[in-house]
Amino acid sequence: MPPSADPEEVGGDRRRLIGLIAGAVVAALIVVLLVVGLLNRGTSTTIDDALETGSRPPAPALTLPVLVSGPGLPPVGRDASLSDLKGKVVVLNLWASWCEPCKEESPVLEKLWRANRSRGVVVLGVDIQDLSSDARAFIREYGLTYPSLRDGTDEAKSALEATGVPETYIIDRAGRIALHVAGPVSSAAQLQAPLDQVLAGK
Amino acid sequence: MRPRITAAIAVLFAVLALATPALSLTVNEVAREVRCPTCNTPLDVSNSPAADRMKIFIADRIAKGDDKQEIIDALVVEFGRGVLATPPKSGFDLLAWIVPIVLVVGGLAAIPFVTRAWARRRQDTAPAPEIAPDDAARLDEELRRRDA
Repeated sequence: MPPSADPEEVGGDRRRLIGLIAGAVVAALIVVLLVVGLLNRGTSTTIDDALETGSRPPAPALTLPVLVSGPGLPPVGRDASLSDLKGKVVVLNLWASWCEPCKEESPVLEKLWRANRSRGVVVLGVDIQDLSSDARAFIREYGLTYPSLRDGTDEAKSALEATGVPETYIIDRAGRIALHVAGPVSSAAQLQAPLDQVLAGK
Repeated sequence: MRPRITAAIAVLFAVLALATPALSLTVNEVAREVRCPTCNTPLDVSNSPAADRMKIFIADRIAKGDDKQEIIDALVVEFGRGVLATPPKSGFDLLAWIVPIVLVVGGLAAIPFVTRAWARRRQDTAPAPEIAPDDAARLDEELRRRDA
C-alpha cells in the first residue's frame, strides 16, 4: 500500500494543519493586540505635528465637571463642554495641586486672565490626576479667579496628548488649537503675543 | 465570684474583637487596592507626589473611621473605576477573573489528551524491532520445546 493512502497518516496531516492554523491565528491575535496597545499608549503627537506644519487641529470635545465656574460656564458641579466656550479664545491649562511648577505658573495665568478677560479670552484650568479637595485648596491658596474644570479620569490629558502637568493650549474662536506649550508658562508676556495674534484672527 | 470573672473576660474579648478591625486597617491595606494615576503602579508601591496626596487622603479617611470599602468608593468617585488596581468582581469585569481560570483549568484538562496523542504518535512511528532469521529460528525452537 502506498503511504499516502494510509488513512491514519492522512488524519495526522490534517490535525497538524489545523494545529498550524490555530497557532497562526493566536500569533496574529497577539500581534493585533500589541499594535492596538501601542496605538493607545497616548504617545501620539498628531496635535504637535499639525501645529508644526502650520495648521490648527480641532480641539477635542471635552465634557467635564466644573470646579470653579466662570463666564459662559454652568455652575460648580455641573458638566461643562469646551464647545460652551466657542466664540471665545480659550487658554486651556492642565494643572494639579501637587505639581510644583504649577505653583509658580498659576499667578502668571491669573495675571493673563485679568488682563484679557474683557477681550473675549477665557483662561480655563483643567485639574488632572488630583483630589478635588486638594484642587479647591490650591485655588483658594493662590487666589485664582479663572474658571477650572476637573478631570479625574485623564480624559482631557489623553485627548490633548499631554504628557504631564503643566501644559497649556491656546484655542481660537473656531475651536481649533493654535498653540501648545508643554511645561510651565514662565511669564504672561510669553502667551500675550500669540494670544494677540489669535485675537486678531491671524 | 467566678461567673463574674468569666463574664468580665467575655466582655473584654468582645470589645477587643470589635476594636481589632478598626485598629488593623492601615494605609497600605487600602493603597494596594488602588492605582496611582500618574505612575500606573499600585498605590502602596508608588512614591509620586500624586500618590503621596492619595495616601494622606486615605490616612485622613481611616482617622475619620471609614472602612476600606468606603475609602475605595470615595477614590472611585474622584478618579473613576480606572483607579481600581484589580477589576471589580461583578458585571462585565467579572470576565477578567473568569477567563484566566477557564483557560488554566481547560489547559490542565487537555494535558492527558495531548500526552496520549503524542505517545500514540511515537508508537506509530517507532519501527518494529526486527528479528534476525537465526534468532527467529531459535525462538521457534525454544517455544516448541516449552510446549512439549
